[in-house]
Amino acid sequence: MIGNMEKQNTIFKDNLFTRLFWPLMALGLLLVFNLICTQGFFHIEVRDGHFYGTLLDILNHGSKVMVLAIGMTLVIATKGVDLSVGAVMAVAGAVAALLVGQVEHGWIFCDGFTLGGLVPLLNAHQLSWFLPVIAALLVSLVAGFWNALLVAGFRIQPIVATLVLMVAGRGIAQLITDGQIITFTNTGLVYLGNGYFLRVPVSVWIAMGVFTVVAILVRKTALGLFIESVGNNETASFYAGIHSKTIKGLTYVICGLCAGVAGLIASSNIKCADSNNAGLYLELDAILAVVIGGTSLNGGRFFLAGSIAGAILIQTLTTTMYARDVSPHVAAVPKALVIIMVCLMQSETFRNRAAGIFKRSRKRAWSL
Amino acid sequence: MVIVKLLKLQTRYIPLLATASVFAILYSIGLASFSHFGSLRVFVNLLGDNAFLGIAAIGATFVILSGGIDLSVGSVIACTSILMATLLEKGWVPATVISMALLFGICFGAAMGCLIHCFALPAFLVTLAGMFFARGLGFIIHPQALGINHPFFLNTIGDNLAIRLPHGVEFPFTASCFVVALLVAMAIAHMTVFGRNVYAVGGNEQAAKLMGVRIGSAKLMIYTLAGFFSALAGVVFTFYMQSGNPASCVGLELDAIAAVVIGGTLLSGGVGYLAGTFLGILVLGLIQTLITFHGDLNTWWTKIVIGMLVLVFILLQNLVTTMTKKGIAQ
Amino acid sequence: MKKKLVMLGLLAGVAALSMLLTACGQDETTKKKLVVGFSQIGAESAWRTANTTSIKDEAEKRGMALKFSDAQQKQENQIKAIRSFIAQGVDVIAFSPVVETGWEPVLKEAKRAKIPVILSDRSVEVSDPSLYVTFIGSDFVEEGRRAGQWLAETTGGKAQIAELVGTPGAAPAIDRKKGFEEVIAEYPEMQIIKSQSGDFTRAKGKEVMEAFLKSPEGNTITALYAHNDDMALGAIQAIEEAGKKPGKDIVIVSIDGVRGAFEAMVAGKLNCTVECNPLIGPQLFDVIENITDGKEVAKRVVSEEGVYDQTQAAKALPKRKY
Repeated sequence: MIGNMEKQNTIFKDNLFTRLFWPLMALGLLLVFNLICTQGFFHIEVRDGHFYGTLLDILNHGSKVMVLAIGMTLVIATKGVDLSVGAVMAVAGAVAALLVGQVEHGWIFCDGFTLGGLVPLLNAHQLSWFLPVIAALLVSLVAGFWNALLVAGFRIQPIVATLVLMVAGRGIAQLITDGQIITFTNTGLVYLGNGYFLRVPVSVWIAMGVFTVVAILVRKTALGLFIESVGNNETASFYAGIHSKTIKGLTYVICGLCAGVAGLIASSNIKCADSNNAGLYLELDAILAVVIGGTSLNGGRFFLAGSIAGAILIQTLTTTMYARDVSPHVAAVPKALVIIMVCLMQSETFRNRAAGIFKRSRKRAWSL
Repeated sequence: MVIVKLLKLQTRYIPLLATASVFAILYSIGLASFSHFGSLRVFVNLLGDNAFLGIAAIGATFVILSGGIDLSVGSVIACTSILMATLLEKGWVPATVISMALLFGICFGAAMGCLIHCFALPAFLVTLAGMFFARGLGFIIHPQALGINHPFFLNTIGDNLAIRLPHGVEFPFTASCFVVALLVAMAIAHMTVFGRNVYAVGGNEQAAKLMGVRIGSAKLMIYTLAGFFSALAGVVFTFYMQSGNPASCVGLELDAIAAVVIGGTLLSGGVGYLAGTFLGILVLGLIQTLITFHGDLNTWWTKIVIGMLVLVFILLQNLVTTMTKKGIAQ
Repeated sequence: MKKKLVMLGLLAGVAALSMLLTACGQDETTKKKLVVGFSQIGAESAWRTANTTSIKDEAEKRGMALKFSDAQQKQENQIKAIRSFIAQGVDVIAFSPVVETGWEPVLKEAKRAKIPVILSDRSVEVSDPSLYVTFIGSDFVEEGRRAGQWLAETTGGKAQIAELVGTPGAAPAIDRKKGFEEVIAEYPEMQIIKSQSGDFTRAKGKEVMEAFLKSPEGNTITALYAHNDDMALGAIQAIEEAGKKPGKDIVIVSIDGVRGAFEAMVAGKLNCTVECNPLIGPQLFDVIENITDGKEVAKRVVSEEGVYDQTQAAKALPKRKY
C-alpha cells in the first residue's frame, strides 16, 4: 500500500514548479548572458516620473504576448489552437481608432465621470475613449464567438476554423480602416499603451489584470477543472456531465477577448491603427509562450503562470537581439535554438536519457 | 444517395467525391461567368503555378496522415532556393547544387524526426522551431533575393523541357515534376509497407506498436520524407522563379495544410488520400484564379473572400460526407 | 438543428459566391474596352493604398477595364496573377514587382503571348531588357541622395546618424541606402553608427529606435535617417519617450512625403521628408495609351518629386493628397 502511494506521488510530481522551472532557468541564463555581454541592459533610471530601461521595454512590449498567451493557454488546454488572434488584434485596434475619431467630433456623447481616480479622465472629451474601447472589446468577443461556433458548433478542426478568421479577419480590419493608418491623439486611448501608473507602464498593469481575472475565473471556480477535463478526454467529460461543447466554445470566446485587449494595447502604443501589420505573426509567439510555459499541445493541464514566463522569455530574446544589433530575420535562428533547448529540458525522456549518461559515467568512475 | 449506391462506391472514398464535386461546381461557376476560363492555359496554369505548393503538400500529407504536423515547409523551400542560387552564383554545377538541396532537406527532416520521436517533443513545436531555424538560415546564407543566370535553368528547364501543347500553351517542367512526384508518392503510400505503416501510426499509434510496427523508424522516415519533399518543392520553386529568395513562401505551410484538409485528410491522422491533396491544391488554385479573373476585388475583399470560400468549402465537404454516409447507412 | 444551420450557411455561401461572380460576368459582354491587368504588391502601407487608388481612379476616368490583383506581398502570387492575365488575354500588363529577381520566365511568357508589360514603382533585374516596355516610378537611389544631401547641408557635414532601414531585400530599402551612403561618403564627419531594419512599419520603427537609444552609443546620436515616414513617425514617439526632443536634439529626415510627415513637420518634430510620389496613375495610363496607339515610349519614366522641409510644410500640407 505504502509502496503504491509512493509511486503515485512521483506521478503527481508534475506540477507548476517543475513545469515553470525550465523556462525560468532559460530566462535566467539569458539575463546572465546580457549582464555579462550587453552593456547597459540592466540599467534602470527614473525619467519623467517613470522607470526607464531595457527591462521595462521587455515588459512593455511583452505585455501584448502575455495577454494573448493567457487566452491561448485556455484554448490549447482544450486541445485546440487559435491562429486568428493576430487578425482580431488588428480588428480591435481598427474599431477603436475609427470610433475614437468619431466620438471626438461629437457624434456620440458621453457624460463625464471619474473611475476612482485611477485613470485621468474627467470631462466628456477625455471620456471619449470609453465607448471605442468597449466597442473594440465587443467586436473581439464576436470574433471569439465566431471561432467557438465553428469549432464547437460545426466541429471543424481548430487549425482550419481559426485559419479562416486569420485570413478574413485581417481583410475585415483593412476594410474598416480603408487601408489607411488611422492615427489618434485621444489622451485616454493613448494612456493604455503609453501611460504609466506608479512608475510602471499601464500595459503591464493591464496584462497583470487580465492574468488575475482569468486566474481567479479558472482556479476559484470549477471552470479550470472543466477545461482540463475536456482537454484530457472530451468523450469522458461529456459522459461525466460536463457541457464539453460550451466549455470549448467559452475558451475561444475568452481568447478572442484577450486578443481584443492586446490589440488595444498594440494600437495605443503607436497611437494609430495599422491594420496591415498589427499583430502580424504574434499568434505564433503566443503559442510558443504557452508551450514553453509547460502546457501541452495535447490538452489537459494548463499553467497560466508558465505562459506568462514563456511570453517574457520570448520578448527578452527579441529585445536581446535588438540590443545586440542582430537583424530580426537572422534572430530567428537563436530563437529556434532556445525553443528546442527549453522543450528538451521539459521533456522527461530527454532528462532521463541525459541523467542516464551521467549515472553511467559516474558508475564507471566509481568502478575505476 | 442513389448515385453512390449505383457506383457501389466505398464509404471511404466519399470525402474525395465531395471535394471533386465541389471543385466541379466552382469550375462551372467560373466557366459561366468569365470568358477564356475554359481555355487549356487556365488549367495548365493551375498545375504549373501551384507545382511547388503541391509537392510541399504531398510531404505534408504524409506527416498529417501519421498524426503529426509540419510547419517548416515554407521556410525550407525559401532556404533551399537561396542555397541553390548562392551555390550557382559561386559556379557550382547544377546537378551538384540540386543534390545538395535535396540532401539538406533530408538531413533537416531527419533531425526534426529525431527530436520528435527520440525525445517525445510535440511535432508542432519542433517543426515551428524548424521553421524559424530554416528561415534564419536562409537569411544568413544570403540576406537578399538572388537571381540565377545559369543557362541550364534559363534554357533547359524553362524552354527545352516544357511540353508543347496546342494553342501555344506549354506544359511547364515544374508541372511535370509535380505530376511525377504525386504518382511516386501515391505508389509509396499504397504499395509499400512504409505507406501502410504511415496509416497505421496515424490511425492508432498504440495499436500499431502492439502489432509490431516499428514506430521509431517509421516516424523518422516520415519526417525525413517530408523534408525531402519540402526540399524538392524548393528545387521546383527555384525552377519556377529562376531565383532564390530567403523571404519567400512565408505562410506556405498553412496553405499546404489547408490543401490537405480540403482534400479530405483528417488532421488527427490515419484517414486520407494523396489524390485528395491533389484536388485540394486544385481547389485552392481555382479560388485564386476566380478572384483574379473577377479583377475587381481590392486587397481586403480578396482576403475576406478567400477566408469565406475556404470555410464554405469545408462546410460543404462536411455536409456531403455526412449526408452520403447517412444515405449509405440507410 | 445543426444540419439545418449547416445547410443554411452553405446555401448562403454558394449564393453569395455565385452573385459575386456573375456580377462581374456582365462586364464581359459590353463594348470592347481596353483591358489592363495590374498586379499590385499588396496594401502594406498607406502609400501603397494611395498608389492603388490613383491607378483605379485613372482607369475609370479613361474608360478602361482594369483587372486588379492583390498579391498579399508575395512574389508567387504576382507570378500567378500575371499568368492569369495572359490566360485572360488582357491587352496590357502592368505590375509593381515586390522583389527584383525571378521574373524571367513569366515575362518571357508574356512576350511570347505578345502582351506588352509595364513596370510600376519598382524595377526588375532581367537579362533581356526587351522583356518590358517601360519602367515608371521613382528613382529610389536619387531619393537616398537627396536625403543625404539635405542632411549634409543642414548639419554642416557633421552628424552621428542612426539609420532605420526598410524591409531587407526590398528595392526601395537597398537603393535608398545606396544613394544616402554615396552622398555622405564625401563627408568624413558624417557616420552611420547604428543601422537596423524597421520593416517599413511604425511599430518596428519605434521598437528599434528604443533599442538604439538605450544602446551605449545612444546618447551620441544626432541625426536619424529613416527609409520611410512610417518608421520615422514611430521613432519620433520613441525619442519623446526617452525624454529627448525629436527635430531638435535629433535631426530627422525620411522619405515618402505622406500626410502624417507633413503634420509632424508642422509640429516641429520631423525636419525633412523627401517625396516619393505614389500617384502614378496618370503617368501609367498615358504610357498605356501611347503603347496601344503604337507611339514610341521612353524606356524610363521618372516621377516628379521634391524635397520638403519644415519651412515649406505648413503651406504644402493642405495640398497633400495622401
